[in-house]
Amino acid sequence: MINLAVTPHMAVWGKWLGDAMGTNAAGASAGNAIFGIFLSLVVYLIGQWLFKIGKGFFLFQPLFVGMVLGIFILFLLAKAFGTTTATFYKSAYLPGGNIIFWFLNPATIAFAIPLYRRNDIVKRFWPVIILSLIVGLVISLFAIYGVAKLFHLNDVGIASMLPQAATTAIAMPIATAIGGNAAITAMACILNAVIIYALGDWLVKFFKVNSDPIGAGLGLGTAGHTVGSAKALQLGSIQGSMASIAVVVISIVVDVVVPPFASLMGLH
Amino acid sequence: MPTQDKVTSTPTTQTEKPSPILIQMGIFAAVLFVSSLISPLFPASFPVPTPVIGLVLLYVLLATRIVKLRNVEKFGDFMISLIAFLFVPSGIQLAANLDILKAEGVQIVLVTLIATIILLVVVAYTTALFIRIAKKVFHMNTDVNN
Repeated sequence: MINLAVTPHMAVWGKWLGDAMGTNAAGASAGNAIFGIFLSLVVYLIGQWLFKIGKGFFLFQPLFVGMVLGIFILFLLAKAFGTTTATFYKSAYLPGGNIIFWFLNPATIAFAIPLYRRNDIVKRFWPVIILSLIVGLVISLFAIYGVAKLFHLNDVGIASMLPQAATTAIAMPIATAIGGNAAITAMACILNAVIIYALGDWLVKFFKVNSDPIGAGLGLGTAGHTVGSAKALQLGSIQGSMASIAVVVISIVVDVVVPPFASLMGLH
Repeated sequence: MPTQDKVTSTPTTQTEKPSPILIQMGIFAAVLFVSSLISPLFPASFPVPTPVIGLVLLYVLLATRIVKLRNVEKFGDFMISLIAFLFVPSGIQLAANLDILKAEGVQIVLVTLIATIILLVVVAYTTALFIRIAKKVFHMNTDVNN
């Protein structure tokens, strides 16, 4: 009797584990999305809880905690099941992670709303906005190139660092085109967001960035992508609007400016 | 509802009721769908991804008042409030790239950290400078109220 009750469950779990470890026959691992969604929510909520009881300590920012804890849990589970972290991530976490990831599409276009809410500022300042983003990016590129050289990154590493101001989907192909590694660039884009999310408040205060609300918005949107825009919205409606426009314009500017800059520097 | 839409040429968002949430989601889906058709038209050397086109498209629809704030506001603000959570899978994605981090990880993370600060500060200061120039040289009114 017990056997009859247990066996089907074991079979189900066996299939789940097979999916998770990528050992099932090809085609069988359509993937179980529930684990990825559940893990993402749990680690993020733990982050929120830590942030609350840690009285807002910057390393307890939910996104940062969620990322570190999530990777750590995947690392431990991969060890426990005797597979590599990358494999376990791909087969166990990715199906669910991709579902959440997809919602970045509507979340990104949603920034048209805070942008439009301060359309008065956009209409008055658009030439200054575009000029500031172009000049600001070119100066930044020289600085980033210098810092990368200082840390003895090779040409591939340097080329991977240059397009990070653009949104990931633009930065990756640009990185490849100028001889960089798209995976490193994607990592940089993600880290930008995590860094701005964790350190943004402190950086804004330390560098007195908010003395000019338009500058603060453009800076946060450029450095932190959509997460920077969410931060900027907390500072005010102008900052939020300007960060939203920065996400779009800086991506186009990267498209145009980074390839010639790379060849000027003899990268590719 | 449709007749009311025709009458209001100058919307006063405060007094109007927000659209039902499924309609708001439908507008987002439509904008994304059209954007996904536009995105492949750009050459590979000049990539413009779907969400970037979508942001511009939704802004244009709002600015031309074809779509009103009450049609998209509720769902949009909700999505924005989720943005940090939606980034968790991207963060965890680094688990697949731990090999890269092993090789040159510390340098790359440090350069990225400094690059983030550079981008924030340089763009913010450049903008502040240009706004000051616009005020002094072109006598532009640069007062803004938040």
